Amino acid sequence: MPSVIRSASPRHNGITKLTNCRLVRGDELVWDDVWVSSATGKIIRSQAAFYDELIMPDEVVDLGGRIVSPGFIECQLNGAYGFNFSTLVDDMTQYGKQLRDLNRKLARIGVTSYIPTVTSQTSDLYKKVLPYLGPSGSSRRPHDGAESLGAHVEGPFLNPTKNGVHNRSVLKVASSFADLEDMYGAANINPSSTPELEVHSPSSSGTSSSSLPSSPVSSRSSDAHGRIPVKMITAAPELGAMTSLIPELTSRGIIVSIGHSEATYEEASAAVSAGATMITHLFNAMRPLHHRNPGIFGVLGTNNSTTSTNSTTTAQEQEQEQGQGQQEGRSTSRRIARPYFGIIADGIHLHPTTIKIAWHAHPDGLVLVTDAMHMVGLPDGRYAWTNGEGEHYIIKKGSVLELEGTGAIAGSSITLIECVNNFLNWTGASIPQALKAVTATPAAMLGVQGVKGSLEAGADADLVVLSEEACEGRTELVVDEVWKFGVRIFERKHV
Amino acid sequence: MRFFIREDAAAASAHVANYIVDRINHFAPTPAHPFVLGLPTGSTPLGVYKVLVEKYKAGEVSFENVVTFNMDEYIGIPRDHPESYHSFMWKHFFSHVNIHPSNVHILDGNAPNLEAECVEYEAKIKAAGGIDLFLAGMGEDGHIAFNEPGSSLASRTRVKTLAYGTILANSRFFDNDMDKVPKMALTVGVQTVLEAREVVVMALGARKALALQRCVEQGVNHMWTLSALQLHPHSMIVCDEDATLELQVKTVKYFKDIEQVARAQGFEQILPSKVRTGPATVPTTIVTDEFPAPTIHSPQPTTSRLLRATPATEYPVRSRSPSPEPNFAPRHLRVNSDAEYTVSSRSASPDLVPDRMAERMEDPALLRRLTPNPEQQQLHQQPLHNSVPRTSITA
Repeated sequence: MPSVIRSASPRHNGITKLTNCRLVRGDELVWDDVWVSSATGKIIRSQAAFYDELIMPDEVVDLGGRIVSPGFIECQLNGAYGFNFSTLVDDMTQYGKQLRDLNRKLARIGVTSYIPTVTSQTSDLYKKVLPYLGPSGSSRRPHDGAESLGAHVEGPFLNPTKNGVHNRSVLKVASSFADLEDMYGAANINPSSTPELEVHSPSSSGTSSSSLPSSPVSSRSSDAHGRIPVKMITAAPELGAMTSLIPELTSRGIIVSIGHSEATYEEASAAVSAGATMITHLFNAMRPLHHRNPGIFGVLGTNNSTTSTNSTTTAQEQEQEQGQGQQEGRSTSRRIARPYFGIIADGIHLHPTTIKIAWHAHPDGLVLVTDAMHMVGLPDGRYAWTNGEGEHYIIKKGSVLELEGTGAIAGSSITLIECVNNFLNWTGASIPQALKAVTATPAAMLGVQGVKGSLEAGADADLVVLSEEACEGRTELVVDEVWKFGVRIFERKHV
Repeated sequence: MRFFIREDAAAASAHVANYIVDRINHFAPTPAHPFVLGLPTGSTPLGVYKVLVEKYKAGEVSFENVVTFNMDEYIGIPRDHPESYHSFMWKHFFSHVNIHPSNVHILDGNAPNLEAECVEYEAKIKAAGGIDLFLAGMGEDGHIAFNEPGSSLASRTRVKTLAYGTILANSRFFDNDMDKVPKMALTVGVQTVLEAREVVVMALGARKALALQRCVEQGVNHMWTLSALQLHPHSMIVCDEDATLELQVKTVKYFKDIEQVARAQGFEQILPSKVRTGPATVPTTIVTDEFPAPTIHSPQPTTSRLLRATPATEYPVRSRSPSPEPNFAPRHLRVNSDAEYTVSSRSASPDLVPDRMAERMEDPALLRRLTPNPEQQQLHQQPLHNSVPRTSITA
């Protein structure tokens, strides 16, 4: 149990009842109350508190019919308010200070949890910054603002042909787990206490080919392991031994995301079979959908079916799949769950219809991400940016970011609530469906379902109060209030 | 019995809710002198709870000093089961109003000793000063709480086995699986309800029409347990038009007329002020021994227990401790002049003590029994036995 902050008077139990509000519950908005405790930082089971502990809330907040959503979870954020996670400062204590400052600002836009993203960098930078970016919520101090759930390392084991704005010269190919440890620092990807850890190595599971692991998808149990700084790794599975390294990563509670990759449908399926559960910014920095080989996107069409990894066409695969399933009885061990996928709904990275297609392909897998750079929240202009080697500049014009001299899209400068509003209006999704893509779905992807991204009793009391505003035929959700660990930390000033 | 017929369920619910709000506000409850409310569950009172919550949110009523007692609870399902009556009350009422959890009483169907739980529940009601207003719904078979047909009309809080029909009817709340439906429940008894100072019963819908007819137009009968309401001095039935389908036109017309006349007279069938209001404005009654004992002993009442005076006919009993020993000596009451309320408790009217008329007479000659009595019979027993063989001989 985390440290409990109690007020002096025993009559105050730190419980607040939010009433007259619509709660995001699954795909519905439900009129209900929610009770949060600032003492435990959790949403409490109000009925049990009433009958068992004879508790009345200290405070009742009438939200006037507004929407209460779980706090947003951002799965791809490179920096914000002028602070880039992928920077080295001479005095690293300054890094921590700026990070804490960013956390407080980030919470004001509804992001209560996030996984700070570090792009492809040199090993030196990873080793220095990752210890700062690990899970930060254990102190459970509401006014610390947004909480890191662990870092996301986007690279450097990426395909040089799909580098986006990542520096090609720092991209690497991993042939063994030691390569990963060398790159990120062993302490950053290994739990501090490792005795009970069982590592699925592909050689021990009986297959000689390194690209064809036959071990089942190992269950993610990040909480069972010690807190390790890295929560997610984006990698191109077709390079080196990456696919065979996936089980080793997942067994440590690290999520493997396919991205910046030339992977074919088969390669992507193999990676998913091996335990990859996420696709980093779907459609961007990967092969487009081709009707003869649907590529990474095609994995969303598998619908939890069995897959074979060594066939070359879909037709062959289906034949083989039937044969294999019956002859070898391996179908159960080869069943794969469709991966989650990140979508940048900024109107620049993807066409609205593309987003709609992806959503319809796998509604429960869509995670809205911003891929925002540190320029988000700053005025237009020319900003310095390092991608591992040398100084580069990014031009910010409105929400468009371009790498100077190349014209390449350099991430976005959109906020998560803007993504939600775009998604809401482009796809015709309901409000709870849109909010799910930044709450329950990313929580499930990160293995923190029921703790984050949820309004059920027992979950952390990270909440966002939203009001609906109609402007120019669009429905816009506006972040009115943000609650972290049962305490209101932001309230929008009404004009 | 006051009887109100409203156009539909919503109007009937609003009438009851308004009535309860008026009663609470007129009562002006305080922490030391709370309004004690008996509450039902089920589909019938849903509309009432809805209006009560609306009125609370509109600031028209406060439940801060209201104590509640619920009628019943299933045995053997978890308290937080969605179909438990704890959950029902939380979902539809308690979570929306400012009632204090320590003022809420619901029978615990998971108590280790269910019998003790029932005894304790009755004691809690007594300790709270008795129930001021018991709201109830009516079952299709005329049951009140889980007092199904055949329940004793003198019953108190107890463990009750549910009838097959009730289990079948309730299975719709348990995935239509009869095995999941609790087979037993804890419930207050008919007598517990009748002891409330006021009982308000609702009957909504055509399905309740027969039960309503039995309970209003026919006699008191344990097969329609709610008919015992006829014995209550301050009862009220509120129903919708559909529920009157089985009633005689005469009955419906009578009650509608009487309501109209009462309203025209500005006298809306209100309760006696001593039942209606808190004791703050009620003069205290004090028992004194100043008056000499009467020379003529009056005969003791011989009415049944059900007709015996209930707390409803008395001033609100505010004692937090159990009543003192009943005192059978005749009492003389005097209205206290300073009208300041003090905690007092009166015993119920004395029980019937069978005696002989002759004992009340002054003439000692009459004390000798002329009719056979047990003592004499025993005395005569011996000679009688002895005489039997003799008579046979002479015969």
